[in-house]
Amino acid sequence: MNTFILGVRNAFRNTIRSVSLMVILGLSIGLCLVMLIARQAVSQKITEVKQSVGNTITIAPAGFSDFSQANNALTGSQLSKIANLTHITNLSENLTDRVTTIGSPAPTFGKFGSNDTSTVNSTTSLTSPITLDTSGTSTGGGMRLFIRDGGSLPANFSLPISVLGTTTPLTVGGETVSLSSGSTIDGTKDTNNALISTDMATKNNLKVGATFTAYGTTFTVAGIFANSTKISGNTLVMALPTLQRLTGQSDVVTSAVATVDSLDDLASTTNTVKSTLGSNADIQSSQDEANSAVQPLQNVASISLLGLIGAVIAGSVIILLTMVMIVRERRREIGILKAIGASNLRVVLQFMSEAVTLTVAGAVIGVLIGIAGGNPVTNMLVSSSTDSATSTSATTKPGGFGGTFSTGQPRTMAAFGTRPTGSFFRRSGIGLANSVQNITTNIGWSILAYGLAAALAIAVIGSACAGWMIARVKPYEVMRAE
Amino acid sequence: MIKVSNLTKTFQSGDNIVTAVSSISFEVPDGQFASIIGKSGSGKSTLLSLLGALDKPTEGSIEIGGKDIARLGERALVGYRCKKIGFVFQGYNLIPNLSALENVMLPQSFNGISSHERKARAVELLDQVGISDDKQLRKPGRLSGGEQQRVAIARALANRPELILADEPTGNLDSETGKMIFDLLHSLSRSQRTTIIVVTHDLSIAGKTDESFRLQDGKLISKK
Repeated sequence: MNTFILGVRNAFRNTIRSVSLMVILGLSIGLCLVMLIARQAVSQKITEVKQSVGNTITIAPAGFSDFSQANNALTGSQLSKIANLTHITNLSENLTDRVTTIGSPAPTFGKFGSNDTSTVNSTTSLTSPITLDTSGTSTGGGMRLFIRDGGSLPANFSLPISVLGTTTPLTVGGETVSLSSGSTIDGTKDTNNALISTDMATKNNLKVGATFTAYGTTFTVAGIFANSTKISGNTLVMALPTLQRLTGQSDVVTSAVATVDSLDDLASTTNTVKSTLGSNADIQSSQDEANSAVQPLQNVASISLLGLIGAVIAGSVIILLTMVMIVRERRREIGILKAIGASNLRVVLQFMSEAVTLTVAGAVIGVLIGIAGGNPVTNMLVSSSTDSATSTSATTKPGGFGGTFSTGQPRTMAAFGTRPTGSFFRRSGIGLANSVQNITTNIGWSILAYGLAAALAIAVIGSACAGWMIARVKPYEVMRAE
Repeated sequence: MIKVSNLTKTFQSGDNIVTAVSSISFEVPDGQFASIIGKSGSGKSTLLSLLGALDKPTEGSIEIGGKDIARLGERALVGYRCKKIGFVFQGYNLIPNLSALENVMLPQSFNGISSHERKARAVELLDQVGISDDKQLRKPGRLSGGEQQRVAIARALANRPELILADEPTGNLDSETGKMIFDLLHSLSRSQRTTIIVVTHDLSIAGKTDESFRLQDGKLISKK
């Protein structure tokens, strides 16, 4: 009788106990696999997010936010020092504003966290592609304008249009856009040319070469860009000097994005930018932003690692106690085996093969549990982790008044602040925050190999103590006890 | 030839030292059927475990085929038990989830014998001890006490040992079956020239063996 076969047969000696044990081990191994799957998916996502954000540094006036905008905008002369720093390959400077459609009541926008308000007095002939009903909800849903004291919008109200003056016209809302027709504009030259979105062009029946008015000036549509969101669709893009002139904010910049030549130099260059601008600006590198965005995932990764360790320990303890129990029950049999010529090693191997059989059978059940539970558990962990992060972020800001626009998600509130370029932090943050929630789990061979390795580790650890006990069984004591 | 010289075995029991076997010396020639008799606690089973290399003596020597097994290392002792010794126990001690055939094959697997040879040898032995073909495939729980003991004897013979040690082999059997088992052991000692030492308190059985040693309080007090 082969030692291995004997061990396998012994594993099924007591059917009820064997099945119970396999189910318990299966749950333990299944939990190991679920945690492995979650950890792998989350780690992969963290890497993806970190790689996707690139090597940029975002610069905003100190204390600036859409909810509490400080009146200390940066200047072009300050930023020119940044453009000349080593490792900086490109500097995008931005200024933002809003214009009201001619004939529409000019709304007053509140600022969260302060009693300040601003009224959108500048006008345009353009009409926003986003249509709101009197309750402030956009057609088709997804966006809502919060109205102070719960009032309703006038029937002729049209949503103000965001204006972005930028040195990089093909970067809108922190995202690179492509032109569907026409050509781009030079963001550094003061011209009366502009880019509009496809939504805006459709709504206003405009084509390349057509004209419209804004700030009392006639603009020509130089190009039409494909907008990926409703927010970017409601944006009018012009050169930075043009908007500075039209708004009377010469040399004013409300945000800038510096590109660093390599990821390796990002941290040091970020520090140089911080020391150059001092307390005048809030500096955040893309990796800081990514780290912040993936923090909930890091938490999930930590939880899944702890869960994995706990499950391995639980499985080991289960198999250990079971093997100890089996060895104690079969003490006489072990003595007899030794008496008829079996070596310690042989008996230990027999019991190890029994433990491995039980564990492998448990692993099969565990794999099924892992396949069934990997995706839902990962999503649940990620969802609860990122929800709690979002909720924390939302509750730290006091409620506002006036007309604050919302996409329905707390982090997108005030997307139409008077200086909307400040939302670069937030907008890319939204993208990352949404991105980190879109996690796909994969159960590949590596996961199965890890699962099997964990199962074997459980079996070996669990059998070790049993082996020690087996070596201590003295055949003559068994005989004497007869 | 088995030559036991000044064999002593002591145990620590609390603060006391208990002498289970005290300065025993005797010889058993090859192919003899010997018995060890004595009351409970006289040291019979301890002597048997020393002869079977299941325990080491405190003093003295046990020479089997000219080799002192009291001085063998652990690995050599395992080999000795596997190849030179066959055990028959009072409670049969068959492995419950193996068939009679597999129980007899088991010690041969420890001896590195091929599966084919193991099976042929096991069938031969089971036939020899009177276990029919259909019963050879039964598990011990479905065999009578006498049948189980016959399977145990076949298992003890599996590796063609020089010495069979039987500890009260008829103790759990009725007198008729016990006599049958005794006759079987007796005939085996003759047919296979195997030395058999039986521990028993049944004087009628002891009287039929070639030699008989009586133990009392760990000492050999008489020899027939």
